[in-house]
Amino acid sequence: MSVVANGLSMGAIYGLIALGLTLIFGIMKIINFAQGALLMLSMMISYWLWKLTGLNPLILILIVGPIMFVVGYLCQRFLVRPVLDSEKNVREPVSVLLLTAALAIVLENLALMIFGADYVMAKTSFSEQTIALGAVTVSAARFYGLIIALVVAGVFWLFLQRTQTGRNIRATGQDRNAAALMGINVPNTFAIAFGLGTALLAVAAVALIPFYYVHPSVGQVFMTKAFIVVVLGGLGSVPGAILGGILIGLIESIGAQYMTATLTVVLVYAVFLMVLFVKPSGMFGSRYDW
Amino acid sequence: MKFDKKLLLLIGLVVILLLVPMMVTRPYFLHVIIMCLLWAYLASSWNIIGGFAGQLSLGHGIYTATGAYVTMMLFNTFGISPWLGLFVGGAAAVLISVLIGFPTFGLRGAYYALATVAISEGIVVIINSTHELGPFSVGGAEGLIVKMVGDSAAALQFSSKIPYYYLILFMLFLVIAVSYWIKTSKLGYCLIALKEDEDAAAAMGINVRNNKLIAAMISAFMTALGGVFYAVLIRYLEPNAIAGGSMSTQMVFLSIVGGSGTILGPVIGGILLSLISEVIRFYLGGQLMGLHLFIYGVIVLLVIMYQPRGIVALLGQIVQRFSGPKTVEGGVSGVKDSGA
Amino acid sequence: MKKRGTRFIGLLVTMVMLISLVAGCGGGGNSADKAKEIKIGTILPLSGSAAPLGKIGQQARDMAIEEINAAGGIKSIGGAQIKMIYADSKGDPATGVSEAERLITMEQVALLTGCYQSGVAMPSTEVAERYKVPYFVDVPSEDKITERGFKYVFRLAEKTSWRNRDQTKFITEMAKTYGTPVKTVGLIYENTAWGQGAVKAWEKYLPEAGLEIVMKEPYPTNSSDLTPVVLKAKQLKPDIIMMVSYVSDAALLTKTFAEHQVKPLAFIGTSGGFADPTYYDLAGNASEYYFDISTWEPDVNRPSSQDVNNKFKEKYGYAMNAEAVKAYVGMYIIADALERAASAEPEKIREALAATDINQGVTQMYAAQTKFDETGQMINAPIVICQYQKVDGKMERITVWPQEEARVGSHIVWPYPGAGK
Repeated sequence: MSVVANGLSMGAIYGLIALGLTLIFGIMKIINFAQGALLMLSMMISYWLWKLTGLNPLILILIVGPIMFVVGYLCQRFLVRPVLDSEKNVREPVSVLLLTAALAIVLENLALMIFGADYVMAKTSFSEQTIALGAVTVSAARFYGLIIALVVAGVFWLFLQRTQTGRNIRATGQDRNAAALMGINVPNTFAIAFGLGTALLAVAAVALIPFYYVHPSVGQVFMTKAFIVVVLGGLGSVPGAILGGILIGLIESIGAQYMTATLTVVLVYAVFLMVLFVKPSGMFGSRYDW
Repeated sequence: MKFDKKLLLLIGLVVILLLVPMMVTRPYFLHVIIMCLLWAYLASSWNIIGGFAGQLSLGHGIYTATGAYVTMMLFNTFGISPWLGLFVGGAAAVLISVLIGFPTFGLRGAYYALATVAISEGIVVIINSTHELGPFSVGGAEGLIVKMVGDSAAALQFSSKIPYYYLILFMLFLVIAVSYWIKTSKLGYCLIALKEDEDAAAAMGINVRNNKLIAAMISAFMTALGGVFYAVLIRYLEPNAIAGGSMSTQMVFLSIVGGSGTILGPVIGGILLSLISEVIRFYLGGQLMGLHLFIYGVIVLLVIMYQPRGIVALLGQIVQRFSGPKTVEGGVSGVKDSGA
Repeated sequence: MKKRGTRFIGLLVTMVMLISLVAGCGGGGNSADKAKEIKIGTILPLSGSAAPLGKIGQQARDMAIEEINAAGGIKSIGGAQIKMIYADSKGDPATGVSEAERLITMEQVALLTGCYQSGVAMPSTEVAERYKVPYFVDVPSEDKITERGFKYVFRLAEKTSWRNRDQTKFITEMAKTYGTPVKTVGLIYENTAWGQGAVKAWEKYLPEAGLEIVMKEPYPTNSSDLTPVVLKAKQLKPDIIMMVSYVSDAALLTKTFAEHQVKPLAFIGTSGGFADPTYYDLAGNASEYYFDISTWEPDVNRPSSQDVNNKFKEKYGYAMNAEAVKAYVGMYIIADALERAASAEPEKIREALAATDINQGVTQMYAAQTKFDETGQMINAPIVICQYQKVDGKMERITVWPQEEARVGSHIVWPYPGAGK
């Protein structure tokens, strides 16, 4: 049971990271390779804010979220958009992909220069606590992570469904030309989507720092997994990202009981490839993405 | 007359390239040049599937690893010369490319890229945890040490750097020739067609999958040869270094920054970018942590932002501006054919 | 099309000429002051994830060289000063090779030292062997480094397998002393060369001592979560849990073991992450009573140890670690060899290094006797075991074994009383 509980809590975090990715990926058709580096940046900012202010990391969401939204918005406005514009007629915007990869290198090494290469971890009041639910013990930090992930995903889903901005984002993701014809400001919508995707990372970062270390290359640990989750769940699908994340979390957690932890990594990739070949649009992907 | 000029320049270039070891006496510099050429070679090999056919493979490290491991396992265990082994290694890589190609070529764009990432990451894990494979020692994460036999042309082991230089130079010529052949053959036109629009190409009667497979097989074979060269040069195979993500993405980076889909773009990108990164590391390496990689990243960022078609297009424009016929005005027209 | 081809080739020609011009001109003409200066090349990971470890190695070397130079340099060569030249390997084997190549042929160093990772040491020592330049390997412990019949490679560190040998010895001794029979062992290790090497040695030594390996669990180094591994250990209940980890995963394992109340007779780490100063910061109180194997500790009962460590602390603001001590002591061993060689010729230095036999001075902080066997391996490289214990409410690493090198007045806590007990 502990195994399942752990898989759930870790999977929810994966889902949260994937949520930001699925938004950018699903709407702009860009694989954002800087996602890991932006997560690292969020974790660094969260960690230092926590260290300087001593605030409960959960409150920090309100500060780090907006900061990262601005970072994401600016990234899109000044880096991604010019390249995207010059490649308007190219079917696969490969340059943008490379651009995000280069951005990842820049961010990681910038962090290395500013913060140094030491591993740090936020030791909050609940970092070493555990919550016992019957026979199952879960670390408190992970339990809060699970709750945050589910709540944020829910709010985010409502936002996409019920608000005008949310509808604009979805419309742009389905057909950007049609959306433009309908009078939606597509570049602006892209920038908001990118900003939101990055702000979601900030939430994941805040949920992570009480029990995971921060390091300039920490983004790489989660990035590949986030990609897998996004494809598993289906592009642009909010429930898909969360459920895909939980699926991966469970595979890792349960799989490791029957084989070595290194082989579960291979198992995750195998499941991913199988889904990709059988149903490339993922579990919850909408047909518009094809 | 123009033909003469071209021939003359070509001969001049070849002569200078052949004379490089006479001019560069320091083995370190020669080593740096060899590494630059190797990267140019690998970028060009990737370009065959990634550039010409537009299939964004992010897992080409599989092929360098296959070529290097198979060849060196044969050499270590049975003493089979790498000269023969490289054909086996190359064939193994081709086989793997077909195995990967069949299911994945149905995937498009980003999905294909992610599939290749997943496959190659999985294979890195498997190599890392495989110690023995039948009679062969793989070495797991400890890596494979190439057996030393001293100076031997048959084993491709030299204490001097010069033979390696000529070898990689020849390989680079080879990959350029192959690229040129593909580009001007029917295969090349099919690849361009399916890169532009897969459905339209299929409608025109082009067998999309077969053409992609052929390009993938050639690319895999050439990449595997690069892996063999790495193995005889470094003589130690570390799974993450030869098969890992950095090997795979480096090829893509160099090729696209240089100008993917062109014949000389990846060559120029490979040489220039690895040279820049080496120079930056040389002067800034021991100083502030991360500074040299930061600068490297910024350079790549700038190139992509301001010259998304690659350095090759930029060079084309420069050349056009300075020596182009007066009738053609610089700017964008520089990259177009000005006729001849 | 043709015309463009011409221009490209023209451009290429210019590029190649420029490159070869730069390459041909660079370097050269720095042999003037050779007699007064001896260059030592050092390859370290100065960027990438191992950068902090590279940095402390660099600082330890700098401190030793400052002392040696201030004391009059190498007297037999007219008071020659030692100049350190650092090169960044990025932790990558190919870069290590290229830097070894550069240090030897461009900088013309008298000898090489380095280089933290075994993965970099393996191919870069081969370069030195080819150029017949001595390579003083201070930290990398991969057994094979000195098992390839090389003549120019000397290693100060212990072999990896020696640690596992002594861990086994420690377990059997403890089982006897405290009357707690040990039958089963669980192995948890990161899945790189280091972890896999350790497992090979454990599989040799543990069964020899009559211990059964009931769990053999490799995990990927960049794991996002190690709870599954911990839960597996909880279920299989080995008497002893032994680990090979880097610092981030060591901390994750420790914290997760505490969360899930796993309680074997002992947790034993294998240096690396468990010895890292940030390990305690990351793992917190959960690290209490963990054992770790090491070659040097600040509190180890050896001559000069305290003085050098205090000086280092004053200079750089934090304590030395075992790797820093090896780097520091290594410089003195090299200086001693240079003194006896009375020459900066690599061949003479090699002979002098091979004949090293030091049993006094500052190297005592590492080993009572410094001597290399015919393979270049340091004979009897020291090994100690320490335990995380709270002293006056503050967590400290306390050297507890072997008895004669243990901190004065220390005691061993065995068996593991459980987290927070």
